Amino acid sequence: MPSDLSRLLNALGLIAVDTVLALAFVDQLWFRDLPCPLCILQRAGFTAAGFGLALNLLYGPRPSHYGATILGAAVGASISMRQILLYIVPGTGSYGNAILGLHLYTWAFIAFALMIVGCAILLFDNRQFAKPEPWSQRLSVLPMVAFVTFLVIAVGNILSTLLICGAGFCPDNPTEYLIFNHQLGLQFAQAF
Amino acid sequence: MMSLPFLLFACGLGAAWLRQRGAAMGFWVAGLVVLLVLFRVHMTDVLNIAL
Repeated sequence: MPSDLSRLLNALGLIAVDTVLALAFVDQLWFRDLPCPLCILQRAGFTAAGFGLALNLLYGPRPSHYGATILGAAVGASISMRQILLYIVPGTGSYGNAILGLHLYTWAFIAFALMIVGCAILLFDNRQFAKPEPWSQRLSVLPMVAFVTFLVIAVGNILSTLLICGAGFCPDNPTEYLIFNHQLGLQFAQAF
Repeated sequence: MMSLPFLLFACGLGAAWLRQRGAAMGFWVAGLVVLLVLFRVHMTDVLNIAL
């Protein structure tokens, strides 16, 4: 597999991760479905897994970058599996909205598993690691868009998590943005 | 506290952008360790399943 094809596949993979994280924001902002602590940690798992793909785009494909993606996806899959097991017994409830019959943490587990399988398949071809090839003009925009979007979403998650949880740990079932709640409380205290 | 993994990963991406690959990997490892610690802290409920 030429290095350019590998870079294209990594860019598409990172765009898929960007899409997953962006959809999580859509669910949070549009449908007002605030993420639970485990949900936030799964977002961090996606960021950890996408990190390896981002390094592949900047430095060219390396086995260590794929290793970072596999490890990040394994941690993320562990977190989503933990949440699946919390609600796996019928009648024990669930968290958040279901999409196409599956909750977001179940979709997250499937996505993490696909990332691990995808990286394992990509690792089969050693030709991509042979020597670094110059960036082709055709691929210069797509990896850049994927990387910058990934960075912007990571920064967005910093802000979002701060708004929901403040500087400490998150409440188990968040119903409002903690930061706004504190500000309102301060305004209320000053008013009276 | 919960935003710390994202902060470390974002710093890692910034380091990677500045061609500091070693620092980027360092930030990634730190972020993953913090993520695992936070995961352990949030495993508070006992699972009602038989394995």
